[in-house]
Amino acid sequence: MSNINGKVYAMNAITPMRPWKTWILRAIFFILGNVKPLQSDLINLSFIQFARWVIIPRNSFPFVGAPQQRELLEYDYLLFFSNFNGTWNQYIDAFSAVLSKGLDLVWKWSEKFPGSTPVTIFKEYITRVQFDTDYYYTAYPHATANDVKNAHIVQQTFDALNRNAATMSPDQFREAYLQFVLSVQTHLGATGEAPIVF
Amino acid sequence: MPNQNGSVYGLTLLCPIINDHRASPSHDLQIRAYLATLPTGPDSPFAIAPHTHLARLVVMDDVVFVGAPAREEHLKSKYLVFEANIDCPPHAIGTTGLDTYLAGLAMAAPQQLDAIWSHCTGYPGTANLQAFLHYMKACQIETTFFFAATNDKSVTQTLKALQTQRAVADFIATHQGKDPAELQRDFLAFSQKLIAAPTPKPAVPAPQRPMQTGGRNE
Repeated sequence: MSNINGKVYAMNAITPMRPWKTWILRAIFFILGNVKPLQSDLINLSFIQFARWVIIPRNSFPFVGAPQQRELLEYDYLLFFSNFNGTWNQYIDAFSAVLSKGLDLVWKWSEKFPGSTPVTIFKEYITRVQFDTDYYYTAYPHATANDVKNAHIVQQTFDALNRNAATMSPDQFREAYLQFVLSVQTHLGATGEAPIVF
Repeated sequence: MPNQNGSVYGLTLLCPIINDHRASPSHDLQIRAYLATLPTGPDSPFAIAPHTHLARLVVMDDVVFVGAPAREEHLKSKYLVFEANIDCPPHAIGTTGLDTYLAGLAMAAPQQLDAIWSHCTGYPGTANLQAFLHYMKACQIETTFFFAATNDKSVTQTLKALQTQRAVADFIATHQGKDPAELQRDFLAFSQKLIAAPTPKPAVPAPQRPMQTGGRNE
């Protein structure tokens, strides 16, 4: 079991939903996917690299033929996979504090969901529906979501300076270089091993 | 299409694990035992095959009973969940991009893939590539909502950008207060060297910087 690789934590959760409620959730996700400003809290949390919600209708579990038996279920299931930086507690606390309305909107259709506040009950629920990861890979284990965003800003700014650097006079270059340093100075955090936290 | 976010594709597979009560250890346990030994660094099959940002393999034993009054129910099979966030540029959206990725995986790490998926019902093996692709796609589940913090950069671009970020930080630190002509000369040499440098391999930890000591907060 390995939920952690470098600075990333893999979370898996599955919750049952009554089939008629999944259509409401699908509509919510459709709106969320097409109205980008509604994703701003998710983006601003800034420690989620990738996350996805997957609704599996009760009669749509993959069936590859005998000897597999078809599933006979009464509930649809909502799967949640997240790749986030930091600890489980930090993640759930931040979700509860910042995204409680959004989370409630997504999970209130799941059976016995207690709401994302107060956080203690919410954590109990997540613990019950979470299952562990057996193998976890990341191409950049020592970089957080913010490291990646910052690195691309540095790359873009560096490329812009480099395009004209050879044709400038030394004084022009010095001015351009100072502007470059001002632009990138807040995006230069070092990557490396994650700090030990509890 | 919910599987796609910008140039990143969210792949979700649920592959039924062979349910054979005579097998000892059981097939799900054999998968878990193998995954525990599978490298996660540069020797990982997902590092050898290109285009994987993050991926996970999970044995899902059953659905969860959340307590009364909800009804308790169980799956007839255990499932191997494969969740991957992969490069799939807009011009390759759809099955072409997915086929290319899965075929690349099958060709780069056939032994590892077969060692894992041979415990799944109906798995044909990587030797028959068309059957392999057909099987994997038969096990695919459509993502309902997919979020990617950075959705317009490939794995290669990200690895290169992280390399640039680190090199630029070092360059700035060692070139404070330099004469303009010397600064420009050094920058041009630095940028040439950086651009020519090979892209770092995936899943390789960044070298540790020596600890700076003596700061005002110590």
